[in-house]
Amino acid sequence: MFNYNLKLSLKSMRRNPIMTGLMVAAIAVGIGISMTTLTVYYMMNGNPIPEKSDVLFAVTLDNWNPIRPFDDDRPERAPHQVTFHDAERLLAIGKGKRQTAMFESSLIIEPIDDEGLPFEAGARVTSADFFVMFNVPFIYGSGWDKSADAAAEPMVVLTKGLNERLFGGEDSVGNWLTMQGTRFLVTGVIDTWEPTPRFFDPINGGFQEINEMFIPYSLTRVLELTSAGSDWGWKSEEINSFEEWLNSEAVWVQYFVELESTRERDDYLVHLDAYVEEQKRLGRFERPLNNNIYDVMEWMDYHEVVANDAKILLGLSFLFLVVCLLSTIALMLTKFVGKKSEISLRRALGASRKVIFNQQIVEVAVIGFSGGLIGLSLAALGLQGIEYLYDAPAGLVKLDWVMMFTAIGIAIVSSMIAGLYPAWRVCQIPPAAQLKTQ
Amino acid sequence: MGLGPMMSSLMRSKTGPLLVALQIAVTLAIVINSLYIVVQRVERINRDPGLDVDNVIIAYVRGFGENFDVVDSITNDIILIKSIPGVVAATVSDHVPLSGSGSGTGLRTVPDETIEPVSTGYYRWGEEGLDALGIELSRGRNFFPEEVNYILPASDPPTPPSVLVTQNLADDLFGEEDALGKTVYWGNMEPSTIVGIIGHLHGSWVTWDKLAHVVIQPGKPANTTNKYIIRVEPGMRDGLMPIIEQKLGESNRQRVVKSVRSLEEMAARSYRRDRGMAIILSIVISLLIGLTALVIVGLSSFHVTQRTKQIGIRRALGARRGDIINEFLLENWLITTVGAVLGIILTAFVAYWLEVSFELTRLDWRYLPAGIVILWVLSTLAAIEPARRAASVSPAVATRSG
Repeated sequence: MFNYNLKLSLKSMRRNPIMTGLMVAAIAVGIGISMTTLTVYYMMNGNPIPEKSDVLFAVTLDNWNPIRPFDDDRPERAPHQVTFHDAERLLAIGKGKRQTAMFESSLIIEPIDDEGLPFEAGARVTSADFFVMFNVPFIYGSGWDKSADAAAEPMVVLTKGLNERLFGGEDSVGNWLTMQGTRFLVTGVIDTWEPTPRFFDPINGGFQEINEMFIPYSLTRVLELTSAGSDWGWKSEEINSFEEWLNSEAVWVQYFVELESTRERDDYLVHLDAYVEEQKRLGRFERPLNNNIYDVMEWMDYHEVVANDAKILLGLSFLFLVVCLLSTIALMLTKFVGKKSEISLRRALGASRKVIFNQQIVEVAVIGFSGGLIGLSLAALGLQGIEYLYDAPAGLVKLDWVMMFTAIGIAIVSSMIAGLYPAWRVCQIPPAAQLKTQ
Repeated sequence: MGLGPMMSSLMRSKTGPLLVALQIAVTLAIVINSLYIVVQRVERINRDPGLDVDNVIIAYVRGFGENFDVVDSITNDIILIKSIPGVVAATVSDHVPLSGSGSGTGLRTVPDETIEPVSTGYYRWGEEGLDALGIELSRGRNFFPEEVNYILPASDPPTPPSVLVTQNLADDLFGEEDALGKTVYWGNMEPSTIVGIIGHLHGSWVTWDKLAHVVIQPGKPANTTNKYIIRVEPGMRDGLMPIIEQKLGESNRQRVVKSVRSLEEMAARSYRRDRGMAIILSIVISLLIGLTALVIVGLSSFHVTQRTKQIGIRRALGARRGDIINEFLLENWLITTVGAVLGIILTAFVAYWLEVSFELTRLDWRYLPAGIVILWVLSTLAAIEPARRAASVSPAVATRSG
């Protein structure tokens, strides 16, 4: 029966190629546009680390100006980053299961052989727990040991790309790199790792590529590393040395902690409060106690990682899909009206309403499926265009299986909904009614 | 003019025309709101930045190694750059306007910490800074060379006695009063005197509402990365960029030339979100209008075919071609107008959603009549060909059976 219906549908579609073409085009364009925007939204709104997003927390402490909050529009919020020295002390206390402090910097890598040229590479200055906390995959070796943090040993973890550039992609663990006059030991090379959004640093861009290498946080003092990310300050302090800069009230370090249970969370907040109380006695933290932890998805919301433009486009493109469906209904209705005589004839020859209805629905589903397939290719094209327009890393937004099935599903379901009324109208045609007038 | 036949055919098959009207309504809502966003973004991108975007080159260099002397390096680099034919002016700066990277601070007109400071972007560059960016000073004077000193990292340089401000910042600080010669106070309550006023200049962050607030201190920042702002003769930019890169690279091996780019490219990068949105929405608008027009053409043609016999009879009974054309166009116009009325309501809903959820500025009501007129024209154009075909139906058709 299905094959018969299919055959009839194809025949009917061929008989009226312009109408059929218009219907398929309407669905294709509607699916193309809405899937493009839906994919972008889905990517931006995605959970970058689903297996741990509820046990990883960003920490904020309120060391801001006693007479003015960090964010005038949201006075309840503490600064979104912490000072270098607070992070250093919290790391040393190590109250959470794991914790890491970090900021972005960059170093000049000196050539390994005589032919190479020195070049600058971006670095994330962080601590040993980073790799375990964030489930970073390694090809070779591993992160550095905690003892390297304590002793400020120059060690480095490379990304796959940088390892390719420096060592031709070979296992470089145990090799040495000279950066700004210091020799660094390579302890590991990480595999492709593209958490999207880049949850550990939405402040400096949620959709950027990860930094090319990782080095210990404790090297900051030794090598006088400066932040390449954003820093914010409120206090006018006299800063005549790097040491004074590190000990200032400026915030430029991101701090994350891993806490497994509610109890651990409560304990950690108590610990933060105790830490700040102690600092208050030293004359710092003049604002009321306001220490917070945000899990990964809360942190994404906090930084409004999903751009407003993406939401606007999503809304408008679904309205667009509505227009496409309305056209499809109108076209289908018109087309079925044109088939009145054929239907009456078939009804007169004994076809039941159900049979006619099924046949119409199959025809509609075929149109929906074709539109959906073309729409998917349009969406793939649209996403390429978006990556180009927004200068995004290649492959940041792509159609995965979920999105492909969603697209085809939306196409078929929506075209069937669009076809229901016309199909029902067609079934109302009385048998032989049309034959009479001929 | 007989409305009768048209109304009766419209009433007989209500659903089809109603669907087209609905489609037109939603189309109107999307097109008007999208167009409004596009116009706003394009206006934003095309704002005057107050500097010579087309002829400025930015070079980023960074030294390394133990023997690297940053002050020597900057001094020699500036001499080298200025020796290249075609270069008009060059300076070292801590930040580059329109680049997305900058510094912000707060200024006050009285040294009182409890008073809310006026937020502003701020820069430090040398006496050639204005010339290197092609900025016009509207009043007062530029920095004297003796006011410009090297500023080493992690040092607390003395607060400079002279600063330049933009007119926009001056207005927000001093209101009606003339700001020239007035004193401003920094976060540490140290004073500086305004010696010159820049008519208009944009700072670093193009999305910031205080983009036109800029204060400039004299200085040659000797940071880890040195940023050189170079203005060249018109038309020579693209030819000079590789030359500058090569000469800088050759002159000192203890330094990496990170990039040499045009300010135009950097500014375009800063505006890429706005441009992206404008382009995407323009594509959406074109596709939508194209689709709606095609659907009108398709449906009208189909109706003509369906009504061939009816038209033939009417022609046989004396209706002229013009009558038939008018009738089809009027029918189409009526559907469009019903759609437009529904569309106005829907447009207002969408505009409200955008305004409340995303803090977009309220839709300019003048877009509504404009949108409706466009729809009328468009739907008439789409229906004119099918209407002509209807008119060409021969009265003889009426005599045929079947």
